[in-house]
Amino acid sequence: MANHAPTPPAWADRLLTWVCPSALREELLGDLHEQFADQVAQVGERKARQFYSLEVLRFVRPYFLSRRVASFTNSSTSTKSTGTPRYSSNEYPQPSFLHPAMLSNYIKIAFRNLWKSKGYAAINVVGLSVAFVISTFLFLTTYFQLSFDSFHTDGDRVYKANLFFNDPEKASYSGTLPLPFTPALKAEYPEIEAAARLMNGSNVVEYKGKFFDKNVMFTDPDFLKIFSFPLLKGNRATALNDRSNIVISQSMAKAIFGKEDPMGKRVLLGRDSNAKEFTVSGVLADFPTNSTIQYDAFIQITNAGNYQSDKDKWDAMSHAAYVKLSPNVSRATVENRLKSFATKYFSGDIEKLKKKGAKPDERGDLFAIRLQKLSDIHFNTETGGKSGEPITLIYALAGIGFFILLIACINFINLSIARSFIRAKEVGVRKSLGALKTQLFVQIWGEAALICFVGFLVGMVLTYLLLPAFNTTFQGKLTLDYMLQPDKLVLILSLFGLVTLVAGGYPALQMSKFNAVDVLKGKITMKRPGFLRNSLIVTQFTLSTLLICCTIIAVQQVRHMRGQPLGFQKEEVISIPVGNQEDGQLVLKRMRNRLASDPTIIAITGSGVNLGLGKDRSTSRSVMGFTYKEKEISTDWLQVDYDYLKTLNIKLLSGREFSPAYPSDTLDRVVITESMAKMIGEKDPVGKYFQTDTAGVKYQIIGLVPDFHLYSSKSEKKPITMYLAHSQPISYVFVRVAPQSLAGSMDKLKAVWKEVAPKSEFIGSFMDENTNAWYKGEEQLSKIFSLASSIAILLSCLGLFAVALMVIEQRTKEIGVRKVLGASIPNIVFILSQDFVKLVVLAIVIATPLAWFFMQKWLDGYSYRIEISAWIFVLVGMAAILIALATVSFHSIKAALMNPVKSLRSE
Amino acid sequence: MNRAYLGEFEELVLLTVAVLEGQAYGVTVAGELKQRTSRIISLSGVHIALYRLEEKGFLLSELGGATNERGGRRKRFFTVTAAGKQTLREMRDVRNQLWDSIPTTSLI
Repeated sequence: MANHAPTPPAWADRLLTWVCPSALREELLGDLHEQFADQVAQVGERKARQFYSLEVLRFVRPYFLSRRVASFTNSSTSTKSTGTPRYSSNEYPQPSFLHPAMLSNYIKIAFRNLWKSKGYAAINVVGLSVAFVISTFLFLTTYFQLSFDSFHTDGDRVYKANLFFNDPEKASYSGTLPLPFTPALKAEYPEIEAAARLMNGSNVVEYKGKFFDKNVMFTDPDFLKIFSFPLLKGNRATALNDRSNIVISQSMAKAIFGKEDPMGKRVLLGRDSNAKEFTVSGVLADFPTNSTIQYDAFIQITNAGNYQSDKDKWDAMSHAAYVKLSPNVSRATVENRLKSFATKYFSGDIEKLKKKGAKPDERGDLFAIRLQKLSDIHFNTETGGKSGEPITLIYALAGIGFFILLIACINFINLSIARSFIRAKEVGVRKSLGALKTQLFVQIWGEAALICFVGFLVGMVLTYLLLPAFNTTFQGKLTLDYMLQPDKLVLILSLFGLVTLVAGGYPALQMSKFNAVDVLKGKITMKRPGFLRNSLIVTQFTLSTLLICCTIIAVQQVRHMRGQPLGFQKEEVISIPVGNQEDGQLVLKRMRNRLASDPTIIAITGSGVNLGLGKDRSTSRSVMGFTYKEKEISTDWLQVDYDYLKTLNIKLLSGREFSPAYPSDTLDRVVITESMAKMIGEKDPVGKYFQTDTAGVKYQIIGLVPDFHLYSSKSEKKPITMYLAHSQPISYVFVRVAPQSLAGSMDKLKAVWKEVAPKSEFIGSFMDENTNAWYKGEEQLSKIFSLASSIAILLSCLGLFAVALMVIEQRTKEIGVRKVLGASIPNIVFILSQDFVKLVVLAIVIATPLAWFFMQKWLDGYSYRIEISAWIFVLVGMAAILIALATVSFHSIKAALMNPVKSLRSE
Repeated sequence: MNRAYLGEFEELVLLTVAVLEGQAYGVTVAGELKQRTSRIISLSGVHIALYRLEEKGFLLSELGGATNERGGRRKRFFTVTAAGKQTLREMRDVRNQLWDSIPTTSLI
């Protein structure tokens, strides 16, 4: 034969088959090749090939392309213009696979298949629906958290200003700024479009003799320019321009004025003698739940108590500040330009840092003003402000949701592939009758989509039913109408689409590849379990084991933290928030008088800081920093009252407690904790003096107590300095009750509270409950983890169960033969189970280091942390193996017990 | 006036098919045109013209024999229909009349 017959370029031929209608392929290729042969004879092969390529490229034109596309979708008639029949090609004209007759067949077949294998369909539907429910919840929660503060029109230009200190111990941010900061900023930097201060001014609001406890904030008129909260009534530009204007929220308007029009009404703010009158000049729509700014009312900051005295002081930090940059400047440029601003006004802080031996950070800043993106505020606990969920946790939730979906998908894939050989004949027949791969793919994939859809529907119904339970358990703020917003619907539907694609696509692809001839000859039976299936099972169990290990470690850590001795006795103490309507000092006096003769009350005291989180959900902290003998001191500055130590059962190490017998105790005497003593470097601190600022009061230390946790044991015990001042309001009253009379004590105190604090609602709670509330975040986390991991293992087992069933069904003959040849039942069970157990062991081996690594990272955030012990992994591993074994052995025992005569009878 | 419009190239192709009488398929038509017009003729263009003419009813086609240099693929032979012949004739008449009306002096 010709050792080298000249051939045209193959790619060109492939291109031609792509672009030309299939009916014309033969004659066109023929013509081209004939021409090519002529060309070779005339100008030689190389030229001919070039020419050929050009010729083919010229075929890429609308005339052919449009007909090519039409040949996909149109059935036997394809010329629209005249209706003359298309060239009778040698191919049978393909009816479109969306042909009604075909569709009805597909649907029929799909339902028959489902009906024939109800068990598998049920397993798939259950698995998928559960996975849908969980992942929907988790993804929506993630979405909700990530959407925080994202609704402001110019949100990308809004920043919170923070001070950055590159402290040698730990670089830190502070979100509280001095009053002259924003005016100076606005005056000196034209690129700052707007800037507003925001200071807490929790206040009593009075209207027509009725009192309301509302969260009123001090701010600047620019506040309404920075944030695009809708103003329902009033004028955005002028609403806060007057010193006596107040802008209130919709719900506050409802609460105070009912149906009246609030505009122009006058309310009194503040207590008794220093109450001020304000005129309502605007009503803001209620803040969306995903806003970090959630207050009831806003007035000008010029009304703040410290405004006159501090408005030019650069060292009195008191409020947060938000700025809005012009559209054309970037954050980096502004931060750079602010360097000179920092050196100009904060020289004192810079000096202090230098004294400490601070070095500039990688950006060359010792001290700087940094701008924090609005979208970061919710997640960033480091820079102060309201603490949100840490962003890693949010991603962890989404990750868990994804894991569970993946596990359900894996089940689906495994089951479909395991069952595909049953349907191989159908595929073979369809192929021999001229079904194309694409059609088969769409058909099988459509069936998968059908099951997914049923699972999805069930899942959505369950989601709807479980939503309230989810919200109460995990403090979610998801509501049904939240789920029905278009963007959420798109999210949910795309989730569904993804699952269908992943779970249905792969098996469909595999099945449409079957070789028709082999199938019909009966050559295709289930091959030995594929590598794919095994790796999928390993993946499932890896994820499950990972989640279980993490759960156990998280639960242990939470327990460990709660078990930390707090340094005071939290049991049998009732803590009552005073609220804003009453003067805490007076209430405390009345309480003492009223209960002095009551034998069941052991001690009563007051404090500025609640221990734990009470029903008012608020927490406060004041820290004092000063220099003592060349040392930088930073201590919690805790206001207490007489009997504080007695009420909390804190024992005195040396010195004495505050006592009414010493009048100067209320002026300049303090009691400190051990770590404070260590910080100031005094072995025997009692009797020593210190000053918090050079011109201020000289404090004398009168007592020393052991360290105790003022805040949660996530962080270590900090130095605390306790002082007693009658001039400052008491926010909380603590009452220690005798243990035997604990039962009725709450009601008794409630009754007494009515007498001593008539204007304030009684919301007392037990201190041990309050301190438990410190760990609510971790509690929830471990709850979510527990739920997720149990569902993960459940779904994995469900899948394993089904796969085991299939595999064993295929091996019945083998088992029969083995039995006839004398294998014992345990022997057979062992043989059948070992394949699966191997996989689970492998999964454990993979999961253990991962779990260890992740949890080490997580635990690093805690000062009091457990060490991860190896027995957890051993235990979890054993448990996983046992569970898998139990799952598999159910079938294998059944198979081993079967009568071999039955299984060998056929053939 | 429901007669289909013919483009210049289509007219040439139709004429060529008539010339080749029974031996007209893609390659021969393209070759003939190349010879007679010395234009660059692409097969794709010829084919499109042929199919269009067929759709307009001026040509008929049928699949015919295969030859070796075509890799054993069959050819589609085209023949001119009565309507095609009629159209060609009309067009020639129009052209002839136009030629006849040119004043003799300016004959090129």
